[in-house]
Amino acid sequence: MDKFLTFTIAGLSSAAIYAIAASGLVVTYTTSGIFNFAHGAFGMMAAFTYWQVHVAWGVPTIPAVILVVFVIAPIFGAVIERVIMRGIEGASDVVKIVVTVSLMVALLGIAQVIWPQNVSRPVPPFFEGRFVELFGVRVPWARLMALVIALVVAGGLKLLFTRTRLGIAMRAVVDDRSLLQLNGGRPGRTAMLSWGLGAGLAAISGVLYSTEQTLSAITLTLLVVNTYAVAVVGRLRSLPGAFLGAVILGLAQSYVTGYINPGLTIGPIALGNLAAALPAIMLFIVLLVQPEERLRAHGVERPRNPIRVPSQTVAIVGGVALVVVLAALGSLMSASDLVLVTKGAGIALVTLSLVPLTGYAGQISLAQMTFVGIGAVAMAAWGASGSPLAVVLVVAVCAVVGAVVALPALRLSGIYLALATAAFALFCTAMFFNQQTIIRAGSVQVPPLSFGPLSINTDFRQLVLTAIVFALLGNGLVWLRRSAWGRRLTAMKDSPVACATLGLNLTSTKVGVFALSAAIAGAGGAMSGRTFTADSFSLPASLPVTMLAVVGGIGSIAGAFIGGMLLGAIPIASTIFAANAIGIFRFVSLPVTNVLSFTPGLMGISLGREPDGAAPQIAVGYRAVGDSPPALVVSAAGAVALWVATRVGVITKWSFFAALVVFVVAVVPLLPLILTPRLPEDQAEPPRRVACAIWLALATIAAVLIPWATAITSNGVRVLLVLVLAALSARVAIGVLGVTPEQLRRPLPPSPDLIGVDRPLSRADAIEATHMMGLTEDEFEAEVSRAGADVAAAPVGALR
Amino acid sequence: MSASFPTAAASPVAAAAPALRVRDLSVRFGGHLAVSSVDLDVPAGRISGLIGPNGAGKTTTFNAICGVITPTSGQVELGGDDVSKLSTHQRARRGIGRTFQRLEVFSSLSVRDNVRVGLEIRQSWSRRRAAAPQFLAGGAELSADDEVALIIDRLGLVEVAEVPVGSLPTGQARKVELGRALAARPSVLLLDEPASGLDEQESVEFGALLGTLAASGLAILLVEHDIALVMRVCSELSVLNFGQLIAHGTPEQVQSNAAVLDAYLGGGGNDATAVERAAVDAGVNVSDTSWSGPGAPS
Ligand SMILES: Nc1ncnc2c1ncn2[C@@H]1O[C@H](COP(=O)(O)OP(=O)(O)OP(=O)(O)O)[C@@H](O)[C@H]1O
Ligand SMILES: [Mg+2]
Repeated sequence: MDKFLTFTIAGLSSAAIYAIAASGLVVTYTTSGIFNFAHGAFGMMAAFTYWQVHVAWGVPTIPAVILVVFVIAPIFGAVIERVIMRGIEGASDVVKIVVTVSLMVALLGIAQVIWPQNVSRPVPPFFEGRFVELFGVRVPWARLMALVIALVVAGGLKLLFTRTRLGIAMRAVVDDRSLLQLNGGRPGRTAMLSWGLGAGLAAISGVLYSTEQTLSAITLTLLVVNTYAVAVVGRLRSLPGAFLGAVILGLAQSYVTGYINPGLTIGPIALGNLAAALPAIMLFIVLLVQPEERLRAHGVERPRNPIRVPSQTVAIVGGVALVVVLAALGSLMSASDLVLVTKGAGIALVTLSLVPLTGYAGQISLAQMTFVGIGAVAMAAWGASGSPLAVVLVVAVCAVVGAVVALPALRLSGIYLALATAAFALFCTAMFFNQQTIIRAGSVQVPPLSFGPLSINTDFRQLVLTAIVFALLGNGLVWLRRSAWGRRLTAMKDSPVACATLGLNLTSTKVGVFALSAAIAGAGGAMSGRTFTADSFSLPASLPVTMLAVVGGIGSIAGAFIGGMLLGAIPIASTIFAANAIGIFRFVSLPVTNVLSFTPGLMGISLGREPDGAAPQIAVGYRAVGDSPPALVVSAAGAVALWVATRVGVITKWSFFAALVVFVVAVVPLLPLILTPRLPEDQAEPPRRVACAIWLALATIAAVLIPWATAITSNGVRVLLVLVLAALSARVAIGVLGVTPEQLRRPLPPSPDLIGVDRPLSRADAIEATHMMGLTEDEFEAEVSRAGADVAAAPVGALR
Repeated sequence: MSASFPTAAASPVAAAAPALRVRDLSVRFGGHLAVSSVDLDVPAGRISGLIGPNGAGKTTTFNAICGVITPTSGQVELGGDDVSKLSTHQRARRGIGRTFQRLEVFSSLSVRDNVRVGLEIRQSWSRRRAAAPQFLAGGAELSADDEVALIIDRLGLVEVAEVPVGSLPTGQARKVELGRALAARPSVLLLDEPASGLDEQESVEFGALLGTLAASGLAILLVEHDIALVMRVCSELSVLNFGQLIAHGTPEQVQSNAAVLDAYLGGGGNDATAVERAAVDAGVNVSDTSWSGPGAPS
């Protein structure tokens, strides 16, 4: 009985922490419509800041808590809302998800830069660990305090949302921003306040958690999965639901820890990690019992940019060229470069798997590496001989698993698929990849394929095989995209509700795409022929894949290939830099490894400024250069200057190459935007243009200053790093500018439905409206003179 | 166009029972009853009108009929079968087609592809080939490409056939929606303000087109603020005000109905401003009490 009570109290106190965290998540989601995947990372940052203030600087507990929870965290949340989130309001689900996931990855990277992992940072418990005796059980004061805080938070939020003007305004923001504005509210300020409040709540939970567990950036950040499993109980919108979910999860985890013997097994699966898998299990159960989401007729927002689909001929030529070029390069490369490129090509298969799912269908998955893992493990188990038949079997299994995982979430809206896949990744890590019986000693060797007498047992053969598979799958996807099914996916992305009213079963269509995507990722694992550590299948490993794929412009096969290669380069680049030269970036005095660890995050965040990915825009920018004489002049002058500097020996050949690539990829396409006197709707205000120009200049200078020739020994690595630098520069520059080259070409027609809301009612609008109502212009004139200009607000009847 | 058109439908039932029958339909948004006990009969081969001031509940009625929202109560019957329990796509497969007041075009696809997707989606679910509609080539079976081309031609969209719909003006985009709906070969067609964005001349042509469609056996329910058009093409009208049916009859009867005149001229419309309509069309719940966020019980 004592044991039961002990675990009940422990469970309730974690429930309190979950509830506080979840209420922060619910508050930001309901008031801004953005689901904050970085919520756990907010809490993590707060916990580390608390450690810094309290332990490292010795500020006493109470002032330290007040500083972190009531000052720093809210300001941080408000700034994030202002700087990042406001830009993605109204963007698609995919963009919203990728931006907050990127924020989470970036914060994780930043935290690891500021507070390196190799130091242990104990946070002293509150009340010096004192406890009281309750029903014969010792209960630490800190746990009781957590419960009290949760109750206070619950009561406080209830009061806020039902009794205060501010709270009611917060609720109104999500209901309708333009309405609130019209009624004199200030949606911008209200949203900042609610993000501040959310961050404050995240901070409370982070600090409480860190006093109970060790301070670990990853653990605290991934706490968000527990949090949203809890919040889903209230459909992410109800606080009482979230509190109920918290109690269920807290108690369940506590009882599992207390009563289930970690040695217990079900088949080959040991239950030692069950507590860690519980949030995922709970999430799936809750999703299953949710009723199907109702559709929404939004009106299609703004004309989307038609993505040009390459013709099949182009795709075939591209595929053949890819294989030939990679084979030729591979045969010339040193052994170490070959390993690098082969791995990169392998990852390109994984980014390719996101092309149909994200690029075509507009859905998102955060578990692609998990499917790679399932493919790899299944292949190791069933295909030891390397038989291609085993690959077929493995791929089929991945497709089925994918369909089963996605089905419950796909009945609901886009955000739930992201939640479910993230939870699935955690579940598989706990219950599958971290099982000794499944992956022994933490790594799995995928058997190399063999086709009869031909065994793919060298890196070169593996590279060629991967290139061939990529080319075939890429061609298959182009064919699909051009087929009726591909058109249907595009249609579904543009307007799900219209598809449904034409008789399309949205759920089964989406499940089909998801299964295809899982199958391609699984194939990537099964055919990799390499050794994976269990870590590489985890959620943190999947996130950069999705982020980079989206950033690269996910609609295109080529974009997927480049994304994969870059991703393959990053970890290896960081080991090379770590070994070689820390001082390269001396002028920013950050270790390069760490810089690289959060670049994908930064790239993803900059997506908030323009959601379609980088690749297509650069192409458009180039076409615009031709029309802009100043841009032409500056481009030519810059190129000549670089060339002259190289000729006279001021800069090395490698620096020249690097600077030229940065110039060509990032600077030239953006010049028209920086230099054009007036932009459509004048979005790029002068300060932005200056900032962008400065950034581009810095990037070019960095490319020149990095001692490419001496710091790096391998040519392949040099080339890849130069490309990474260029892509990053372009990405961030576009983000800073806040306008995309495409907008030069295509002034957006304003939505007719928001006349009078997002812009003043013009005379032309009024006349058009009159026509819609079947009046002539003369009648309109008469009416105007009688009723004043308030025509839009007047009901039709009054005008007749 | 006042008399009934010859019905081309094969089934004799269709002539007797209305193609679409709505009974006691109510939709509540929180404390606000947007549609209240509405009954509608939409016979095949005719154009029925549903009119009313802004915010009367017309779009909401459409949404409930095709399953985009779940009504609080009421039944929707299609060709005599109760479809109230079916999901949106199942109802579409039973023959409900519609257009949207706020455009729901596939903006990144061309006009031709928009129509083609409608046809291809139909082909993906219809095992047996639904008979080709009468208004296209007199009901003769066409190849998919020909059918798409013919629809585009009938709607006068030939010049813009390859243009992405996102860059078309509203009036043409509405026609694209109509063409797309027709490609799915519905038996009942719900049109939500299809003529807004058309000029006088176009609106007359559009009325004629609707007449042809109805003559080929389609049951059409038309929501339209262009009263002239409504009076011209509809054989009967239902009038909604504050969610309630206040009148029903031929255009002439309705025109002289005191309640209708009052609704249109007297009260100055309902509470709907342009903003509110935008909110409503976005599916946003603007009524306070139904809000189920923080503080409200879930
Ligand atoms: N999702 C919703 N949440 C809350 N109220 C809603 C919602 N949708 C519609 N309403 C309300 O229901 C009423 C009917 O709206 P509806 O859009 O059906 O009117 P309508 O007759 O189509 O008007 P219009 O001629 O302006 O298109 C309006 O008062 C509106 O405020
Ligand atoms: Mg309407």
